[in-house]
Amino acid sequence: MTGTAAIEAAALGKRFGRRGGWALRDCAFRLPAGRVCAVVGPNGAGKSTLLALAAGLLAPTEGAISVLGTVPGAARERVAYVAQDKPLYPQLTVAETLRMGADLNTDRWDASVAQRVVADGDLNPKSRIRTLSGGQCTRVALALALAKRPELLLLDEPMADLDPLARHEMMGLLMAQAAEFGTTIVMSSHVVAELEDSCDHLLLIGGGRVRLAGEIDELLAAHVRVSAPAQTALEPHPVVESRTTGRQLSALLRPSTPLDTDWHTSKPSLEELVLSYLRNPEASAIETPETAA
Amino acid sequence: MTALATPPALTGRRTAAPHLLRWLVRLHRPALLVWAGFVLVLGALLIWVGGPLTDAAVEGWKHYHACAAGGCVYDPSAVGRYKDWYTYTTIAVLAVPFLIAAWSGATLTSRELENGTAQLAWTQSVSPARWLAAKLALPAVLVTVGSGLLVGLHHWAWSAGQGRLDSAKDWYDIGTYAANGPATAAMALAGLVSGAFWGLFKRNSLASLVGSLFSTAFLWSVMAIATPHLWPTVTKLSSLKNTVPSGSGIVVDQGLVTSTGAHIANPHCGSTDWAQCQTLYAKLDAVSYYNDYHPQSHYWPLQLTATAIILAVTAALAVATFRLLERQTGTVNSRKAAAI
Repeated sequence: MTGTAAIEAAALGKRFGRRGGWALRDCAFRLPAGRVCAVVGPNGAGKSTLLALAAGLLAPTEGAISVLGTVPGAARERVAYVAQDKPLYPQLTVAETLRMGADLNTDRWDASVAQRVVADGDLNPKSRIRTLSGGQCTRVALALALAKRPELLLLDEPMADLDPLARHEMMGLLMAQAAEFGTTIVMSSHVVAELEDSCDHLLLIGGGRVRLAGEIDELLAAHVRVSAPAQTALEPHPVVESRTTGRQLSALLRPSTPLDTDWHTSKPSLEELVLSYLRNPEASAIETPETAA
Repeated sequence: MTALATPPALTGRRTAAPHLLRWLVRLHRPALLVWAGFVLVLGALLIWVGGPLTDAAVEGWKHYHACAAGGCVYDPSAVGRYKDWYTYTTIAVLAVPFLIAAWSGATLTSRELENGTAQLAWTQSVSPARWLAAKLALPAVLVTVGSGLLVGLHHWAWSAGQGRLDSAKDWYDIGTYAANGPATAAMALAGLVSGAFWGLFKRNSLASLVGSLFSTAFLWSVMAIATPHLWPTVTKLSSLKNTVPSGSGIVVDQGLVTSTGAHIANPHCGSTDWAQCQTLYAKLDAVSYYNDYHPQSHYWPLQLTATAIILAVTAALAVATFRLLERQTGTVNSRKAAAI
């Protein structure tokens, strides 16, 4: 796909402090516009750093990142971001918080959207933010983000504080937003299962690097789970993970040629795919063609 | 879902700039009310000190002088009350820069960065630089107006007693000198900016509070030490018949002048009326006292030079604060990236 990428990174790296470790290094990927993208990876993998870089909150130490075809700072009006801990001003009420959104986003603010999101959660507009539960704060933060009518919505662990019902409801809200306005949504999580049904694009970050990037369907189609007798040679197929239990070998492959018909094959689930890559840091990173930066 | 559509209804609405003022007032309402209350109360006290209290103390002194001849009981309470309240209000005016520095250091930028609410503001349609500019501009106006009013009223309250009150403070009394002049108002601005700087630098309320207070105290001390040297002094020679060198004001250097014109240290003996001292001065070959000092006519040159220096430091600190923010949030780097 040509056209504007929602996010494009080249050799992107971020180090905190001069002697600190790299939170993110050598990141290169391209996220096409209009996708719902899951950013997955273990804790401390660099997901939050990547989202903060895209939101224009941090300066990259090296490399470059562009958002909606420009530098993150210039796209501020068209990008919404909800941080992991859902920061809000505790001393303001819900209504005042939404008025802040209207004051600071004069050109794009859609008050009816904000009101609807808040009202759906049975929130009293006069409640102070400091009296709200974590899930209620998430709802207010999402109301701020959605009412801005963003072209790109960056959500860092958006569902962590929500109960299953609210989670389901919020996901519905986000999907409706994506469908109605073509908003690109990027959400990070370390719970893969949570994102499998709603996302069509995956960015797997591990150890500060991009391990896997592409359309989820294509990534799943490119991998095969294989069961074969032990000592079977798996070459020339690139092996992501292989394990021998007794006389049985099970492996996750990325077949480069048609597979041996004797082998028992099955389609991996997204979670299996992600876990295999995370357990095997030495497996080479792959990107589907259209996401290669 | 692949098409990137901007809702057409929004394109015609590109109009107003963000209402930063409304947002800031709502955000800092408690601090705003406290500052307004502080200025009002202290302002009222200063008017009270310069008006009724001064008048009562003048009456008190009249009584004292009338009673000096004997025959009546003198009541010192009015004079004492004036002295006490004058001291309290002077201290309160001098505390203003530190109060501002503490507030600014603890909350203005540090707490927002600590809580992530600064990042919340930056991901609305407000750039970090604009956010900081707004966060500094509104308090700067209020601090300038408030502290300017307070030093103005202090000056008035002090001058109300001049020539009428025997116990009125001299213009060069250190507390009075500082609380009377615009340098203290400028120092309050320096405190405000230093708080913003430390907040961005440490991103932690407590560290920023401490840093802000220390740097304001440091600047205050440096200016206190430097002030006498900010304007050329006047040298006054006076007869050794006097107990001390004559000429009152901010003294920079005092001593004895010898017959060759050399300046030597003052042995603090006293008047030549004492034979002992006369012998000592003769031995030292001293012919007169000298006094390098600032007379009252130097009050404004000294105050204004100090104010200008403090404002220049404040401006430099403000530039450094914006640079720091730019470096942290990538305005500089992204410009570089855009050039690639």
